[in-house]
Amino acid sequence: MSNLYLVDDDQDVLDSLTWMLNGLGFQPQGFLSADEFLTAVDLQQSAIAILDVQMPGMDGSALLSHMVQANSPIAVIMLSGHGNIAMAVQAIQKGALDFLEKPVDGDKLVISLEKAASISEQNMQRSVAKQALTTKLDTLTPREHEVMEKVLEGKLNKVIAAELNIAQRTLELHRQKVMQKMDVSNVAELAFLMGKNIS
Amino acid sequence: MLACSYSYADVQQPIRIGVLAFTEPEKVEQRWRPTIEKLELDLQRSFELVALPPSELEHDVSLGKFDFLITNALTAVSYKKDYGTSSILTLIPLNKSNPTEAVGSALITRQGTQISNFNDLRVLNAVSSDPNAFGGFQIYAGEMAQNGLNPFKDFNSLKFAGFPQQKLLQQVLDGTADIAILPTCVLENAIAAGNIPKDSLQVVLTQPNSGFKCQSSSQLYPYYSLSKLGKTDHQLATKVIRSLLSIEPASNAAITGRYQAWSATVNDSEVFKLLKQLQQWPFVTNWTSIFKSALPVGIAITLILLLGFIHHLRVKRLVVLRTRDLQAEIAQHKQTEQALLEQTKQFYRAQRVLLTGEMASGIAHELNQPLAGIRYLTQGCIYRLSDNQTELKEAMTKALQQVDRAQSTIKRFRYFCQQPSVMTLCSLNQILDETLSLMSAEFQRMNLTPVLTTEVIQLTADASLLQQVFVNIIRNALDAMENCTEPSLAITLKMKHNQVHINFTDSGSGLSEAALERLFFPFETSKEHGLGLGMIICKRIIEEHHGEIKAMNNIQPQVMTENTQFAGLTISIVLPLKEQTHE
Repeated sequence: MSNLYLVDDDQDVLDSLTWMLNGLGFQPQGFLSADEFLTAVDLQQSAIAILDVQMPGMDGSALLSHMVQANSPIAVIMLSGHGNIAMAVQAIQKGALDFLEKPVDGDKLVISLEKAASISEQNMQRSVAKQALTTKLDTLTPREHEVMEKVLEGKLNKVIAAELNIAQRTLELHRQKVMQKMDVSNVAELAFLMGKNIS
Repeated sequence: MLACSYSYADVQQPIRIGVLAFTEPEKVEQRWRPTIEKLELDLQRSFELVALPPSELEHDVSLGKFDFLITNALTAVSYKKDYGTSSILTLIPLNKSNPTEAVGSALITRQGTQISNFNDLRVLNAVSSDPNAFGGFQIYAGEMAQNGLNPFKDFNSLKFAGFPQQKLLQQVLDGTADIAILPTCVLENAIAAGNIPKDSLQVVLTQPNSGFKCQSSSQLYPYYSLSKLGKTDHQLATKVIRSLLSIEPASNAAITGRYQAWSATVNDSEVFKLLKQLQQWPFVTNWTSIFKSALPVGIAITLILLLGFIHHLRVKRLVVLRTRDLQAEIAQHKQTEQALLEQTKQFYRAQRVLLTGEMASGIAHELNQPLAGIRYLTQGCIYRLSDNQTELKEAMTKALQQVDRAQSTIKRFRYFCQQPSVMTLCSLNQILDETLSLMSAEFQRMNLTPVLTTEVIQLTADASLLQQVFVNIIRNALDAMENCTEPSLAITLKMKHNQVHINFTDSGSGLSEAALERLFFPFETSKEHGLGLGMIICKRIIEEHHGEIKAMNNIQPQVMTENTQFAGLTISIVLPLKEQTHE
């Protein structure tokens, strides 16, 4: 179970929401402002955040923007006392998972939270995979990188050797090194790995 | 040397003598020819005699064409007055001893006509020779004038028959006319010459005169006189006088000239009187001379009148123009006033609606929070109940329903109070101008003139809502500068990257960090009677226009010192120029 964060400027609301979520078996952590939240939470960890839209200082919508910009895997559910369609659309476009009216019904929130948990997990996994790929790519030398790209373009060894003005034997050595470093056994596997992370 | 050239010139130029002649200038010339010859003989100079009718003579006199003039006494006096001639000799007529009483007027009628006073003249048809004739008309006209009569009115009719004078006697005789005005002695001479039968005609209204052998109806006056023009050399005049005085009654000159002799100038005061008399009466008025003398005055008066009239017209025109201007101005004022009133009304109506909406919204929010708390807590309790506590669960679920009901009421209330905005293409600077004129009274009270930096910007927006924003911001700025010694407000309107930037910078008290953070929250106010909805309304409106509104102190609190406590606040608004389409 990933972390659950609540951000609302009203202490009473925060407490009562925590009380309800406790009843549902969640262990949420409450923050009274966006700043408090940002200082305490690592944005790169998988989590769920329930944000109130209306807050002094940085409001929910601004906090959401901030998190999206930071590439955070945290799944965000927005709560608004008097939200309108424009606000909801804006929030969803920015990357919020859901936009719910406050006070939210516990049963509805649970559904949203479950969805958020899996999304957050996915985000996290994707993030981890991406991180792993980046680590692997970082081990390649510039020449190997060049070779890999030409391989992915589907070119034959002799063509690549000619283009890079190196012996075919040297190229084969580079290519073998790339496969090794990227931890794949054939070109198809390499292409799948790269393609998955590009999307 | 000088004398030489002078005399040489004299020899060359004949001396010109003008003579008054009513008719037949040749006869007049003949009459005076021997006298002139006598002068030529005595002075050894050539003379030129020019006989002219009265008007031509006067014209030439005015041009100074003569050296001497021979005229009747009245003409001499009138020239003396008008052209500065001086009378130097008076002619003594034949058979007369006193040159001052040489000629008069005689009224001649048929024998037997009864005329005892001026009233009897009214029924008579009169005839005279010429209105300029001395004895023949002017003396008697003067006589009548003296008695309050007008020869042109107080005869039945008056005709001028011209010359010779004998003809007039004939007309009286044959009844063409009843009475003739002629010089004295004309009748007596005619009878003596046998032209008129004795006792057929008589002189009426005679006046007694001693030593005058003809009958006269008037006072007597001197006869011809010789005048010299002002320019004529006195030595020449002396020679002429000497020559003329030496004429004997028996000489050819005197006989042909029909005079006795020349004498020194006699008293012409009576003639002057006559002249004055005649000039006072229109019938013999020398219109030309009066006209000439009155001309400059007349022109001046006319000019003054004309100028006065022009001035009057101009003033009138100005009055008309000014009145029209004033009326237009008044109308415009009224219109402006009306427009301003309408705007103010509209503004307050909009403000009321906005305030109601915002108040509803604020109250809804404030109620929503505790309701949310209740709902969460209740639902939290439900989740903690075990499955066999159905009774409690039921009641708590009902509590949830009550909360939902309260909430839906609040929501409906809020939607009811919400005012849909009306987006039209409007000019932002015009909205700003209207706002400033709406608030001009407040600026005057603060003794403040806002510094404007604007450009023309067209924008799709709700003009009345934007006006609300401007009014709220400006009013806040003015309130913040209430205790400020030098209030100033700068408003800039600028286009940048397809966005409109509007800044309001005041020199007021600014805001604390905490107040700045909660500036755009409902029911937050620093004012005693404030509702705390102004800025939230502004934010709501600007957000509705997809814009952003921000507030910042002009000087950051870190660098603020004692002296800079009135650094003021800047409210900046950014509005996208193009209408966003993602809604």
